[in-house]
Amino acid sequence: MSEKSYRDAIREAMMEEMDRDPAVLIMGEDIGVYEGTFRITAGMLKKYGPKRVIDTPIAEAGMVGTAVGMAMLGLRPIVEMMTMNFAIVAADQILNHAAKVRYFSGGQVDVPLVVRGPQGAGVQLSAQHSQTFESFYAHFPGIHVVAPATPADAKGMLKTAIRGRDPVIFLESAALYGMKGEVPDDPDFTVPFGKSRVAREGSDVTIVSFSRMLQLSLIVADKLSKEEGIECEVIDLRTLRPLDMEPVYASVRKTHRAVAVQEQWKPFGAAAEIAANITETVFDELDAPVARVTGEDVPMPYARNLELLATPHEEDIARAVKKVMYAHG
Amino acid sequence: MAEIIMPKMGDAMTEGKVVRWYKKPGDAVKKGEPVAEIETDKVNLDLEAEAEGTLGAHAANEGDMVPVGGVLAKILAPGEKDEEPQRRATDKKDSIKHTTGEYHEAIEQKGPRRDRTEPETAPAPATTPAPSPAEGERRRSSPLARRMARDLGVSLEGVQGSGPNGRIVAADIKNAKSGGGGQAILPVLESKTIPLSAMRRTIAKRLAESTGPIPHFYLTADFDVTNLTSIRQQLIDITGAKISLNDFLIRAVALALRHHPNVNASWGDDAITQHGEVHIGVAVATPEGLITPVIRNADTKPVSAIATEIRALADKAKNRKLKPDEYQGSTFTISSLGAWGIEEFTAIINPPNVAILAIGAAESRPVVHEKQVVIRDRMKVTMSCDHRVVDGAIGAEFLKTLRGYVEQPLRLVV
Repeated sequence: MSEKSYRDAIREAMMEEMDRDPAVLIMGEDIGVYEGTFRITAGMLKKYGPKRVIDTPIAEAGMVGTAVGMAMLGLRPIVEMMTMNFAIVAADQILNHAAKVRYFSGGQVDVPLVVRGPQGAGVQLSAQHSQTFESFYAHFPGIHVVAPATPADAKGMLKTAIRGRDPVIFLESAALYGMKGEVPDDPDFTVPFGKSRVAREGSDVTIVSFSRMLQLSLIVADKLSKEEGIECEVIDLRTLRPLDMEPVYASVRKTHRAVAVQEQWKPFGAAAEIAANITETVFDELDAPVARVTGEDVPMPYARNLELLATPHEEDIARAVKKVMYAHG
Repeated sequence: MAEIIMPKMGDAMTEGKVVRWYKKPGDAVKKGEPVAEIETDKVNLDLEAEAEGTLGAHAANEGDMVPVGGVLAKILAPGEKDEEPQRRATDKKDSIKHTTGEYHEAIEQKGPRRDRTEPETAPAPATTPAPSPAEGERRRSSPLARRMARDLGVSLEGVQGSGPNGRIVAADIKNAKSGGGGQAILPVLESKTIPLSAMRRTIAKRLAESTGPIPHFYLTADFDVTNLTSIRQQLIDITGAKISLNDFLIRAVALALRHHPNVNASWGDDAITQHGEVHIGVAVATPEGLITPVIRNADTKPVSAIATEIRALADKAKNRKLKPDEYQGSTFTISSLGAWGIEEFTAIINPPNVAILAIGAAESRPVVHEKQVVIRDRMKVTMSCDHRVVDGAIGAEFLKTLRGYVEQPLRLVV
């Protein structure tokens, strides 16, 4: 184990896999000479050369289309999106091609492609560059959707993504790049997809989240424990597709209350999917409707004060916890 | 084409309320058939169609106040086209857009700490304490509560739900199983504003005209405080704490208010505000005059904490050190002259409260108790009520709940 930032964990995962397998390459805007807008690819061009670290034009559809072709023919491309917002331009390549080639080819052709990059608010990038996309991609069969909340998961799940046979949308949280945490040193350390984890044990309320909101939920859980004696169990979904709800059901059987937390807008979001699954599966265990904590239903404002108001706040999570506990006063 | 208009049902009538529409736009109507129910400050009545035809668009919604003469809808002859009304019947300046019927008590809720993840359009129409459902009416309960009730053999009948809308939740079942009564569970209070109904406006106007800005009336009750004085003495003996009967009364009043949100309220010209929290003002005499420091959220504080807090506030009051937030914002006030040996008195309401409780001295008196004449400790309290908000029966119900707490004082310390 050693302490690493989320950013370094991602870079290490890519470099270790490039060392391990010559079929792995990375392409994206400003990732080579400039070493990445968020400096995820620092030092990579120098080490692996322009054949494996490819600076592309500002043409996301072209980048992903090229990568889909590379993947179909046996390479293992990683496409870095400067932010995941720009991947919308390549949505047709991702959703209509990468996600469907195996199906269309009758299982003959795999697309081992990773599209990764930062998403989310909190760094004053305004309405076009602060969005989150988990529910957008997780809606479609044929791709994995990954949203790590810790440096260890970022490294372990990116390695699983690069080594796998499937297209993966790897959603990094821009606000977590600087976060540090213990990361295993074993070069073969991987984290499987579809395994939610209990990030904090508790007995009163189950909080379900992922990515940055998981970290916020943990802060709230500690605060509620210290200040009000409320013990929250916090579950990290880690991957939205596949979605592993079993630990959530087990937790709800214990706490009988659940709060789903997401950064995205409320309608049709991950929190709605979580709430619906809980209701379908453990309805008789519930003592209160599942509460959702979400971002405000507005394009993300640039102004810092408004951005803070538009994203879920610790107090929003605490309030939702108390609501499902019928606690007041 | 015929028009359905808001009729003038008396000289004083300037507007009326659409209670409900019986007919939807496009429905066929016969002459003499009821089309809508309206409410005036005196009566409710059905408006009948004056011609046969098809009902056009509603020009006022259910709950809207419409000036006398305002067109509510048109009845269209065959082949006649429905024109969009030039303006809504409620557009006139006298209309009161947010008034709603007493029938549904539709409520505009306000609260400074609104859960902003909750859409504005879907407020939980919480009424607390939850009205007991009528015979055969579905009782709201959580899935877990229903399962627990089945497993524990508890009938949901007779269990008072403490959740929103009277929802029975797991804690209520546990409580019912352990023998607790409905009252042991405190209803949830929520801030809400109840628009004035036509009847409430009339009551307010008439009473205010007859007795000045606040139409007072008074209710006196004689409580048996034998158990309370005994518990107080035991607490003092055990802990050495300074606790007065008054401190117990503050807690008892605060808890009783949780059951009667219509007493924990304020009068406004357009609406009555029921407060989501219970803050008890306590009248304190100072050399300069009377002031009422406030015990905030007194319903959530133990008696010992109330005792400590009120003593600190009283000291500050006597030294003129109270800050505004320490003497403003009460939702109910109590005044005690027991220490001066006053047996009973009436207090003047401390606006914007709608009631004040005057507490007399606790005295040993011969009374009939369990069919014997015995010496018991008794205390008289007089509640002054603002009749615009608190009617006699409401005040009496409140005193009944208060009596429960005062005469069974263990409920104040558990």
